[in-house]
Amino acid sequence: MKGVELKSGDLEGLFKGLLDKKAVDCLILPHRVGNNVAHMMVTDKDKIESPVPAIFAPSFSVNAANIVKGWLIKEKIGIVAKPCEIRAAIELIKLKQMDKESVLLISVDCSGAFKNQDYADHAEEIGDWVDSAKIEGLKGKRIAIREACEICDKRLADVGDIGIVRQDGDNVVVVGITDMGVEALSAIEDISLEDKDIDRSGEIEKIAAEAKKKKEALPEISSVEALEEFLRDCIVCKNCREMCPVCYCKECFFEQPLGKPVGGDLLNIAELRGAIAVPVNQLMYHLTRVYHVSTTCVGCGACEDACPKDIPLTRLYPVIAEKVQEIFEYVPGKDIEEPLPFTTYEEEELEDKLR
Amino acid sequence: MGEETTKKEEEEFEPKIVGFTCNWCTYAAADLAGTSRKKYPPNSRIIRLMCSARLDPMFVLKALLNGADGVFFSGCHPGECHYIKGNFYARRRIAAIRTILKQFGLDNRFKSYWISASEGEKFANTMKGLAEEIKELGPSPLRGKVL
Repeated sequence: MKGVELKSGDLEGLFKGLLDKKAVDCLILPHRVGNNVAHMMVTDKDKIESPVPAIFAPSFSVNAANIVKGWLIKEKIGIVAKPCEIRAAIELIKLKQMDKESVLLISVDCSGAFKNQDYADHAEEIGDWVDSAKIEGLKGKRIAIREACEICDKRLADVGDIGIVRQDGDNVVVVGITDMGVEALSAIEDISLEDKDIDRSGEIEKIAAEAKKKKEALPEISSVEALEEFLRDCIVCKNCREMCPVCYCKECFFEQPLGKPVGGDLLNIAELRGAIAVPVNQLMYHLTRVYHVSTTCVGCGACEDACPKDIPLTRLYPVIAEKVQEIFEYVPGKDIEEPLPFTTYEEEELEDKLR
Repeated sequence: MGEETTKKEEEEFEPKIVGFTCNWCTYAAADLAGTSRKKYPPNSRIIRLMCSARLDPMFVLKALLNGADGVFFSGCHPGECHYIKGNFYARRRIAAIRTILKQFGLDNRFKSYWISASEGEKFANTMKGLAEEIKELGPSPLRGKVL
């Protein structure tokens, strides 16, 4: 793999170089806003000011892929984001919601993240980077990491076109993962690429083992009654859909007359059934969404963050999606060339899953 | 007395089953079962689709949430689809939705089969088996709920 080792402070120059050399027309990257971290879209390289440590900050606001969803444009957008955001972007490319050529995906190592508001409230305590010991320590102080991050086993920067890998000390290794990434990096003057072999299998195993333990400890929703109880507070605001990077229909079924009956239609249904829960279609909405995102859900937890009623949706969407992905042996966002499970088939398969 | 009534109710439980069949194979098989006077329980109501691939898993969810005790799908055998590969795609969707239903213990209420146009007898037997299976399971936990 082609890459270069830099001081983390040099990343500023790298991002500026990408804009300067027109490798990208615009960059979307996290920056500091007071105590907090938010995304910004930069076209003027002078507006980039000390992007480190903001790009590594353990804070999750929106999934960056959701920002560019459906942008079918000719210009090239560089996205500097956490691996889950980059994986969502790759799924969107497969879903034809984005053009492969119009994005340069730059993933950064992630240590797990806190809810945006939690991070802002405790920025000093949390700091710029966390490890498992620190996460446990903070938990004692009732500052909990997002559940989605706790069960995530894919938080290393090995997806997208370019990966930014943290090293011990203050160094980072920037690697070109795809040809497009290598090309973009070679365009920058102060950078000379060399062969970099980084073996992180040990780290991956450690993360996977930790995540597995947390996943098994998660309460399961294992019956209809449990699901009803779980969704008891849901007001069907559909914010989970809005913030989901891979929920992409132009017009959602649940905004149409059949999915969202009103007035006389609703009255007719109520008459037919004697009584009907309102807001209507709560269970149907969630079960349909579970199915619709089942193969593409990257488990970023944006749905849970978006829920105004604090329903821990990570226990619903990513957990079930993983079970569906398992039967197709599909990992969303892993390989841009791998077809989506529902667009392909084997002639002999799955017979044991049908009855 | 209460016990007696429940027992009686259990005995009288007749499941409502919604079936989706493809036009070219299973619907024709159902027809054949009828014309060859094969008997099967009248619990299932069949909805005809033009192809397996028309089965949107939302149909299954909707039927279950509206109180169906069982749902089945049946179409041409894999490799024999009238539209060449419709049932290959359908099979993937069915596997996915059953995985989801399994999470909530509902997967045994949604079955799918492959029954070709010449298999009238198989259709009748399958319906018999399915009705018995669902009867054994009892009424759907979603039946009569205010949803």
